Amino acid sequence: HNHQVNSVQRRERWWGTFRRRFPNWSEPDSPSTNPSFRQQQDGDATASDTYVDSAVRYTPYAIPRYHRRGTFHKQDQTPVNMQREQKLLERSMEGCRLNGTSGSWFKITIPFGIKYDEKWLLNLIQSQCSVPFTPFEFHYEKMQAHFFVDNASIAFALKNVSGNIWDQDNERISIFVSPSDAPRSVHKELKSEKVQQIKPTMKKRDDSQEALDIQRLSSEADFMGHDEMAANPSKYMATSLGVHEENVTKVESAGEMDKKKGLEPQQMRAGGNALCTTFPDKSSNINSILELFPKLSCLDGQESPRPTLGGTEAHKKLPTCKGSVFGSETLKNLVLQFLQQYYLIYDYGDRRDLLGAYHVMARFSLTILFNPEDPASSILCKYFKESRNLKMLKDPYLRVRLLKHTKRDIVDSLSVLPKTQHDLSSFLVDVWFQTEMMLGLSVSGVFKEVEGKSHGCVRAFTRIFITVPTGNSGLCIINDKLFVRDAGPQGTWNTLPIPMVTPYSSSMPALSQEQQKMVSS
Amino acid sequence: MATSMDFKTYVDQACRAAEEFVNIYYETMDKRRRALTRLYLEKATLIWNGNVVTGLEALTNFFEMLPSSEFQVNMVDCQPVHEQATQSQTTVLVVTSGTVKFDGNKQHYFNQSFLLTAQSTPNNTVWKIASDCFRFQDWATS
Repeated sequence: HNHQVNSVQRRERWWGTFRRRFPNWSEPDSPSTNPSFRQQQDGDATASDTYVDSAVRYTPYAIPRYHRRGTFHKQDQTPVNMQREQKLLERSMEGCRLNGTSGSWFKITIPFGIKYDEKWLLNLIQSQCSVPFTPFEFHYEKMQAHFFVDNASIAFALKNVSGNIWDQDNERISIFVSPSDAPRSVHKELKSEKVQQIKPTMKKRDDSQEALDIQRLSSEADFMGHDEMAANPSKYMATSLGVHEENVTKVESAGEMDKKKGLEPQQMRAGGNALCTTFPDKSSNINSILELFPKLSCLDGQESPRPTLGGTEAHKKLPTCKGSVFGSETLKNLVLQFLQQYYLIYDYGDRRDLLGAYHVMARFSLTILFNPEDPASSILCKYFKESRNLKMLKDPYLRVRLLKHTKRDIVDSLSVLPKTQHDLSSFLVDVWFQTEMMLGLSVSGVFKEVEGKSHGCVRAFTRIFITVPTGNSGLCIINDKLFVRDAGPQGTWNTLPIPMVTPYSSSMPALSQEQQKMVSS
Repeated sequence: MATSMDFKTYVDQACRAAEEFVNIYYETMDKRRRALTRLYLEKATLIWNGNVVTGLEALTNFFEMLPSSEFQVNMVDCQPVHEQATQSQTTVLVVTSGTVKFDGNKQHYFNQSFLLTAQSTPNNTVWKIASDCFRFQDWATS
């Protein structure tokens, strides 16, 4: 299109001028245009609400010890695949259902089984299962609980329990059954998996609680839709920590608990407690305990090996802070030009002339924050009655009124704000969103008030503009959010100046050594 | 063109979404960091003090690497974004400010802005982050 070609040429000329003046202003990395995707791992299994109490009979069971033999074959556990497996299972079971012979193994899976205490779950299942069963190698893997049975008719009976048992929240519990190899070593696999998952959280202060908590939470596909969970995180934490809470209580009574740490036992006897039912092999028991309780300093009277999880919290550094982000040269050009023009009028012209810069249905709101004890801040009071902060403002009518929503209203509001002088050289710009239809950017910097009692007062501001393209290759403001605060404890300019073309001086300041380093990083 | 009544409802909805979102976001950031990326769209971009992070995988790595945090939010504001910009996808701009302490670092004042976009399921509407821009107020001296 002619229009676009002309505008590109104009921009290039402008940019050429700009470049000559700032030879060291290097181009920051553009955001990737082909972001990597991560397959959503967790299925969207939803539980229906029912109101039937489940009667749980206590039925003792035994879990024999098994030697390790290698690693698991991981299976895709999405509901769709499970249904497929169910069909396969049924076909394969046709032959041996009436046999009831041992020797054919089946893997029993309870999706979201991580929520449940092992003993409780197995008892519940047993209570509804028409035949007694012996679960082998019960373990948790990601969100699921698994165990094995060695008998086709038992597997079949367990399959029928699916959907006929409910948890404490009246959510239906499903059971999936699939043919499997004889259970191999689960602990090697479990350990490596758990290390992957727990590793990042173990580095933090609240580690063991977080590990299971996070697993619990990441099972929710639409996390924000679960109001109950968000509102009662501790309730869900308790459920997911079921196993350990129970065992920790036992240990506590032996007087070896560090009570302050809550669920993090400082010293635990791994030999005799109920954790053994989950991890039959003693060495795997120790490893698993360590994974979950890295603060455990002493185990069975021996010094525990330090967990090799790759470093501690103290080694985590914050990424280096960098300057403006524009995304591309063209955008930089466009945005800087827009800001110059905007502030030229905002500072030196009649703000009503900004009418042309706004979309007819644009929105604007203002928030100010200041330290009430600072005497200079009392001047900000004139902004305060227009200030919109949802944390402080609960009146729904005021909330609407303080959001200006036609361009006429907006420029009228801007006109009554104190006169200002913005330091464009202090501007920091982040272009954080860009599509063909929309540009989102933030500008931060400082300005001076140039009228009345507050003459000379320096304020810091952040302004967010969302714009849509206009016919004359400009930007049209559709959202405008202004945030004003004190510039700093002494009211000084504490941001590193970033040179920009200023509309009111013809010569550009040369970049200092420091500034050159800053813009080229 | 929306009537005033529609606009009020529109604004109410945006405010409710913003408040709920802010509570969940910072609690998740502080206490359940690993679940944080669930709040982002797959193609979401984060600009964190000038560092650009795009896509869920990069975001996961980024949040894993960030030290544990304690956020205190003092300011929240939001504006619905006109559909002309968003091609009819319901979008809200949410802006926050406050203080944050990352483990091993001094406390900073921060500003953050989110572009939230509504994803409707049969049961409810879920808001996800399309874009996130985070800055320390004193970024230049940190």
